[in-house]
Amino acid sequence: MKQNRFINGLFLVPTLFAFLMIIIIPFFFGLYYSMTDWNGISRDINFVGLANFKNLFSSPDFLYSFLITIAFTFINVIFVNVVSFVLSLVVTSKIPRRNFYRAGFFVPYLIGGIVLGYIWQFIFNNILVELGSSLSIEFLQTSFLSQANTVIWTMAVVNTWQYAGYIMLIYVASIQSIPTSLMEAANVDGAKYSTRVFRILIPMMANAFTISLFLTLTTSFKQFDMNLTLTNGGPATRFLGAPVKASELLAMNIFNTAAANRMAEAQAKAVVLFVVLLIVSLIQVTVNKKKEVEM
Amino acid sequence: MKKTLTKVLAFTLVFSLITTSIFASGTTEQSGETTVNMFQLKVEIKDALDAYAAQYSAATDGVTVKVETLGGGGDYGGAMKAKLQSDQMPDIFVIEGQGGYDIWKDYIADLSDEPWVDDTDLAFMADGKVVGFPVAIEGYGLAYNAEILDKAGIDPATLTTRAAYEKAFKILDEKKEELGIDAPVAMAASVAGGMWWVAAQHNLAVYWGGGLDFNDTSIIEKALNGELDQERFMQYTKYLQLLFKYADQAILLNGSYDDQVGSFAQGKTAFLHQGNWVDPNLAQLGVDFEIGYAPHAFLDTEETGLFLFAPSWYVVNSQSPNIEAAKDFLTSIAMTEEGHKYMVNEAGMIPAFKSVTLKPSGQLSQALMDANAKGGNYGVFFGMLPDGAGQNIFGPIFDLFAQDPDNVDQFIQDMNNAVASFK
Repeated sequence: MKQNRFINGLFLVPTLFAFLMIIIIPFFFGLYYSMTDWNGISRDINFVGLANFKNLFSSPDFLYSFLITIAFTFINVIFVNVVSFVLSLVVTSKIPRRNFYRAGFFVPYLIGGIVLGYIWQFIFNNILVELGSSLSIEFLQTSFLSQANTVIWTMAVVNTWQYAGYIMLIYVASIQSIPTSLMEAANVDGAKYSTRVFRILIPMMANAFTISLFLTLTTSFKQFDMNLTLTNGGPATRFLGAPVKASELLAMNIFNTAAANRMAEAQAKAVVLFVVLLIVSLIQVTVNKKKEVEM
Repeated sequence: MKKTLTKVLAFTLVFSLITTSIFASGTTEQSGETTVNMFQLKVEIKDALDAYAAQYSAATDGVTVKVETLGGGGDYGGAMKAKLQSDQMPDIFVIEGQGGYDIWKDYIADLSDEPWVDDTDLAFMADGKVVGFPVAIEGYGLAYNAEILDKAGIDPATLTTRAAYEKAFKILDEKKEELGIDAPVAMAASVAGGMWWVAAQHNLAVYWGGGLDFNDTSIIEKALNGELDQERFMQYTKYLQLLFKYADQAILLNGSYDDQVGSFAQGKTAFLHQGNWVDPNLAQLGVDFEIGYAPHAFLDTEETGLFLFAPSWYVVNSQSPNIEAAKDFLTSIAMTEEGHKYMVNEAGMIPAFKSVTLKPSGQLSQALMDANAKGGNYGVFFGMLPDGAGQNIFGPIFDLFAQDPDNVDQFIQDMNNAVASFK
């Protein structure tokens, strides 16, 4: 039967309509509002050009959130991918009950970020501190969440605990799609396990790395729910001489700005986040794509 | 021919799909009933208010009051904006001060002619008009555990200057083991625990209003012009430093609301820096010792008053078709026997209306009501600050000072810088 392009197109209309209404149009509205002085409610909106953007780069709290977000992303991408890659090797090896482990490692991903934040907050603030004082282990006695220099690492650990199982599944799927003959041939040729992983497995999995790095990169940049419940931005620290919140990532900084009825300024911050994320992820995907091999 | 038919069929199908999804949300039930929608944020009175609204709806022909409550600590301002954008503005909503009024003033009706206006001192006034119905009186001082103070030989009535507090804290600190307490004070200041408001909002209000007349806003107006009263602020800093130094450090730097209130309720701290809203929590935790309020006396001179305020006001949506029904509902709360019963007995609030004769059951609420009757109390003015100032500007400064309470100069400099930015 001959395809009818018109009818095919019609079936796209509902989705396109929704996409246009809730993604495309709000996006351009957002761009517009970032250049106004709108407070979220007032009907009297003035166009102020790039003034909001100019102010951003002289405010210490935004600069700090920006830097700390980059640091968090860097730490988090490495943690999540290393841990999930190792887990995927474990659950594709010949250990007993590996399906049980696959499911088990995936479960944390199903817990919402809000709940998870509160659970880990309790573990860090109460359980570990209590353990530290009853066993007289000094470094456990102050909560990791109340130290400005450890809080980002702590957040990355919690995020890894949640997210590694999900990325692991991507790696598992990729490992399973590699023909076993390839690995067996290498084995027969006398390649050691490490050689097989680094020379065959990893190059063959390049497309999985592209996806996984992209997913972890974008979710780390946009991290919000766990940040809000686990640390709420605290503790305070000092940056460029001004008091700032030590773990307030960009998304939370945007949220707090908006909650203080500075909608236009928050929108300008969101535009900056969007542009940076776009550039970074485009570079990442291009670089990764070059490393992919065709079967 | 067949082809055209298929085309038409497909098009109508898709079109009807789109239109139903658009218009389905637009249909509303039409009936003679007036429905007054109320949107409020005090979770602790949700059940009582729902019950009162149901009772009122049953007793009033043709009017149904529906109350929607935003969950604890939710973003009320954000939720209101969402309601405005989706054209579902409630008929009665809540503002928390001048900031809220400035933003929503196009939607706030004049309530000057309502019968309850003469019965209260705490109605929200703007541009010479009454626009806000005071939800309740709230207030705070430094709550104390009378048993512990008695055992330590401290008379709470003497706690009226900073020097007296310093002496009392020292005694308590020395007798910690004998009294079975962890620290003299349960105070919270952490951004992480979400407790910045205890220090950076309520305690700082002591500097804005303490020792002045109830309506004297001169100190905060000066701050809004970019300046602190250096001499007064120095005395305040010393008082704050005392509270921080003698506080349970785990609670101060990282504790949650439950940690702070729980420690006081278990008798592990002698003082609690919280308002009368902790009464239900204390009752839940089975507190049976005697509790009272001592003043936040930060000055070298004597202070005896507590801090009283209406934390929020109900306002009526001026663009709603149900203005009259909404006004009647508020009047019924203020002026009828059932309304008084709801406020005092069911919701456990201290009503801001003088004609109410019922007494609240909580010890701290009673202490406030007595203080209100006695007079000589102080106003709470943090609502005059720019939106988000407490959380985003003062919060981190107080958190840093709590981490290192010896660094007085840094704290004063940070505060001067922060206030200068308001100009």
